[in-house]
Amino acid sequence: MFSLKKIFNWLDVRLRIGDLVSFMKKKEVPLYYGTIWYYFGGIALLLFIVQVVTGMLLLLYYKGSADLSFESVQFISAKVKFGWLIRSIHSWSANLMVLAVMVHMFSVFFTKAYRKPRELSWYSGFILLCLVFAFGFTGYLLPWNELSFFATKVGTDIIKVVPLVGNFFMNIMRGGEEVTGATLSRFFGFHVAFLPGIFTVVIAIHLILIQRQGMAAPENWDELPDLQKKRIPFFPNFLLRDLLLWLLIINILCILAVFFPWELGMKANELAPAPAGIKPEWYFLFMFQTLKFIPAKMLFIDGEVLGVLMFSVAGLFWFLVPLWDRKTKVGKKGYWLTYIGIFVVIYILVFTIIGFIM
Amino acid sequence: MIENLNSDKKLSRRDFLNYVLGFGFFGWLAATIYPLYLYLKPPKAPEVDVKNLKIGNVNEIEKNSSKMFKFGNKPGILVRSAEGDFKAFDATCTHLDCTVQYKKEEGLIWCACHNGRYDLNGKNVSGPPPRPLTPISITIQKDEIFVSK
Amino acid sequence: MKYSFYFLTAILIIFIMCNKDFFAQQKDLPESKDQCLNCHSILDGKFKAPAMSYRSDVHFRKGLACSSCHGGDSKNDDQEKAMNKSAGFIGVPKGSQVSRICAKCHAEKFTALQNSVHGESSTGNGQIINSCITCHGVHNIVPVKSPSSRVNGSNIVNTCAGCHSNAAYMKNYNPEISVDMLEKYKTSMHGKKVFSGDSKPANCASCHGSHDVKKVNNPQSSVYFSNIPKTCNKCHGNAEYMKEYNIPTDQFEKYSTSVHGIALLEKGDKNAPSCNKCHGDHGAAPPEIESISKVCGTCHVLNSQMFQESPHKQAFTDKGLHECGVCHNNHDVHQPSDDMIGTGEKSVCIRCHKAGDKGFESAFIMKKMIDSLNNDVKTANNLIREAEQKGMDVSDSKFDNNDIKKVLITSRTVIHYANLDKYLETIGEGFKITNKAKLTGKEAVDDYYNRRIYLGISTLFITILAIALYMKLRKINKKKVEH
Repeated sequence: MFSLKKIFNWLDVRLRIGDLVSFMKKKEVPLYYGTIWYYFGGIALLLFIVQVVTGMLLLLYYKGSADLSFESVQFISAKVKFGWLIRSIHSWSANLMVLAVMVHMFSVFFTKAYRKPRELSWYSGFILLCLVFAFGFTGYLLPWNELSFFATKVGTDIIKVVPLVGNFFMNIMRGGEEVTGATLSRFFGFHVAFLPGIFTVVIAIHLILIQRQGMAAPENWDELPDLQKKRIPFFPNFLLRDLLLWLLIINILCILAVFFPWELGMKANELAPAPAGIKPEWYFLFMFQTLKFIPAKMLFIDGEVLGVLMFSVAGLFWFLVPLWDRKTKVGKKGYWLTYIGIFVVIYILVFTIIGFIM
Repeated sequence: MIENLNSDKKLSRRDFLNYVLGFGFFGWLAATIYPLYLYLKPPKAPEVDVKNLKIGNVNEIEKNSSKMFKFGNKPGILVRSAEGDFKAFDATCTHLDCTVQYKKEEGLIWCACHNGRYDLNGKNVSGPPPRPLTPISITIQKDEIFVSK
Repeated sequence: MKYSFYFLTAILIIFIMCNKDFFAQQKDLPESKDQCLNCHSILDGKFKAPAMSYRSDVHFRKGLACSSCHGGDSKNDDQEKAMNKSAGFIGVPKGSQVSRICAKCHAEKFTALQNSVHGESSTGNGQIINSCITCHGVHNIVPVKSPSSRVNGSNIVNTCAGCHSNAAYMKNYNPEISVDMLEKYKTSMHGKKVFSGDSKPANCASCHGSHDVKKVNNPQSSVYFSNIPKTCNKCHGNAEYMKEYNIPTDQFEKYSTSVHGIALLEKGDKNAPSCNKCHGDHGAAPPEIESISKVCGTCHVLNSQMFQESPHKQAFTDKGLHECGVCHNNHDVHQPSDDMIGTGEKSVCIRCHKAGDKGFESAFIMKKMIDSLNNDVKTANNLIREAEQKGMDVSDSKFDNNDIKKVLITSRTVIHYANLDKYLETIGEGFKITNKAKLTGKEAVDDYYNRRIYLGISTLFITILAIALYMKLRKINKKKVEH
C-alpha cells in the first residue's frame, strides 16, 4: 500500500533526507504582531510560480516577431479557450509580484532582518528585486502594442544618459539604435530564457539560505521573556496558512482577470509619434517622475545624468544596508535607518501618485 | 466510555473534515485542469499568421473556375484561367468595396454591384472601378497552393 | 462730216457702256485715293479679282488701302515706286506672315489663335494651320453678323467643316479625330434649325470658341468635361435668349444639385455624365422616350437591363412615360433613398399604383423587407458593439459587414425588375448574414456573462476548500497546543 512512510523510506535510502527532514521539522516562525509580513516572501514565490506556469502556457501560442506578436496575443485573448484568463492572470500576477517583492523587501528592511547572519539573503534578495524589474520591463514590450512600444522607447532612452557606457548598453538592450523588431526579439529572449535561468539560480540560493538560517526574529525578540516568545512550527502550521493564503490569491487573480481584463490596445506603429502623456508602468513611475522634476541642467551636469546617478547611488546605498547598519549589528536600535526607510517609502508613494495624476 | 464517544465523534468529525478537504482539493484541481486542457487543445480558428495561407490543392480547382478565400480579414479570390494558370487578388472591388466574383462565361472578374469588370491581370477594363485589383502572390509547392502578402 | 461725228459718238457711247464698270469705279473711288486699287481694277485675271472683291470688304469701307496689308505706297500710281521694297511692299504674304499682318491691328485675336489648337499644331515650317484668312476669307471680309460672312452663325458650320469633315486632310494633323461632326450636327436640333436659317442655335464656335479653340482634354477648353455644363448653360440658361423655343431653362440649376452634377462639378469625377453624355454633343438632341433607359444604361447597365425586362417597360412606353426619368428625374437625379420604394408618402410607386393592385402590394412587401433588413443590421451592429465594449473579440463579424453592403446594393438594383420573387431571393441573403452576425454578437455577450458565472462557481469551490483548510489549521493548532 502506498503510505507516506513507505515513500519517505524509499527516498531516504537514496537521498539521505532524514537529516534534512528533521532539521526542517524544527523550523519555527515567531508569532507576534508582525508575523503577517512573513507571508510576503511566500506570496512573491507563489506569484513567480504562477508567472512561470502561465508564461509557459502563453509560450505555446505567442509569436515573438514584430509582425505577429500583437496578433498572436489577440489570438490568445480571443480565440484560444481560456486564453483570456491565462493572459490576464499573467499580466495581473506580474504587477502583484512587483508589489509583493517590494512589500517583502520593506518588511525585511523595517524588521532589520538583514542583520548578521542574514546579509547574503539581503544581497540575493536585492538581486532578485532587480531581476523582477527586468522581468517587468522586458515582458511589458512583448504584446507589441502602442503603450508598450513607447514605454520601452522612453525607458531605454534613459539608459543612454549614463556617461561613457550609456550608449553601448542602450544598443545592447535595443538591438540597434531604435526600438524595432530586433528589440522585441531580444526582450523575448531575455524574458523567457535569460532572466528565468538566472532568477531560478538566485532564488534557489535565497531559499536555501532562508531555510538554513531559519526565520528572522524581530529586533527585541531576545529581550522578551520566554513565555511571550510564541512560535509556531513552519511545517505544517505556517505552511498551511501559507497555502490557504495562496489559494485565496489564486482566486483573487481569477477575479481580477474576469472583472478587470488586461487591455491590448492598438498595435505598435513605429512611425507614429508618441501619444501624449506616455509613461512607464507604475513601478517605474517614481523614478520617471523624479527625472521629470530635475531641471534640464544643474551646474554643468545634465539633469538626466544627475537623476540616473542619484538613483544608482541610492540603489547602491540600499544594497549595502547590512554594511551601513552598525547599530543593529551590535544589538542596538537603529532609529536612523528606520527613518530613512520611512522616507523612502513615502517618497516612492508620493512620486508614484504624482506620476499618475500628471 | 465518554472518552470513547468523544474520540469517536472527534474521529468522524476529523474524517468529515478530511473528506471535505479531499473533495475540495480534487474539485479545485479539476477546476484548474479543465481550463488547462481546453487551453492546450488547438483552437479551430485559423492561424494567426496572415502572411501565408494554404488555400487548397492544384487538382481541386478546375480550369476556368475560381475559389474565394479569407485572407486576414479581407476576402480573396483565386482564379484558374482556361489555360490553367493561377491568379489571386484581393477580392475587394476598387469602386465601392463589394466582393467580386469570377464570371466563367466571360473569363473575367466581375462585380455584381455596379457591373465593374476586371481582366485576369486585375486591370479594371469596364465599368466604374477606378483602379485595378490588388494582386496577391501565389506560390505552388508540391501541388499545394499558398498565397502570401 | 456730220455722220462721222455721230458714228464716233456712238462708238464712244458703246465703248463707255462696255466699260461702264471702269468708269463707275473711277466714280466710286473713296477719299483715300487708293492707287493700288485703281490700277489693279483695270488689270486682268488674278490681279484683278482681289481689287474687285475688296470693294465690298469691310476694311475697304473703313478706309484701309491695299498697302495697309501689302505694304508699299498706295498714293503713288507709279508701279515702280508704289510696289517698292523700300516703301515697305511685301507682295503676297506667305504662311504665318499673313496672320501677323492681320495682327498689326487684331493683335488679341492673333494671340488667341496662336495659343489655340490651330496655332499649336503647326507643321514644321512655322506654318500655322489656320491663318486668319483660312476662315475669314481675304479681300472680301465682311462683318461677322453679315449674312454673307463665312463665319456668321449660319455659315460657320460649313467653314469649319471645310477642314474638319475632310478625313484625308485631318489625317495630317490628328488621325484619331473624328470627321463626322457635320453629319451628326445635321441630325441635331441645333443643326436642323441652323440649316433652316436660324442663326441663334449653337454652331461650332458657340461651344468651341472661335480664335481660342483648345483641345477637348485641355482644362482651359470650353468643352473640357467639367466646363461643358457651363458652356451649354450659356444659351440654355438664358431665358430671354431661349424665349421663342419653349423649352425649360433651368437644366443647369437642376443638374448642379444632382448626383451627376455634384460628382462632375464639385468632385471633378471624369466618369460623371455632363450634358453631352446623354444628349450627344454634335448630334445634340434629347433622347427618344423609348431610348432613355438605354442612354442611362450606358453606365447603369444592370438597372437598365432589368428595367427593360420588367413589366414597366411596356407600360411606360404605352403611357408615353420617360422611363428612368419618371422615378429618378432627368436633370436633377438625386441619391435614391429606400423611401422611394413602397407605399409611403415619398414613394414613387404610388404615383401609378393604387391600393389593391398587384404592384401596390408588391411595393408594400418590398419596403417592409428592406426596412426589416436595415433594422436587423442595426440590431446586429449594436450587439457587436456591446460585445466589443465588453472586451470580446468581434473581428470576424465586422468582416461580414461588407457582404451586407453588397446585398443592400444588389437588392436596390434588383428592384428594377419589378419582380417580387427576384427581390425576395436577393434580400433573403441579407437576412442570413444578419442572423449570423446577431448570433456571433449574442454569443460574445453571453460569453462575457458566462465568464462571471464560471468564476462564481470556482470561487465557491475555492471558498469551501479554504474554509476546510482553515478548520484543519485550527485543528492542528489546537492539537499542538494540547500537546
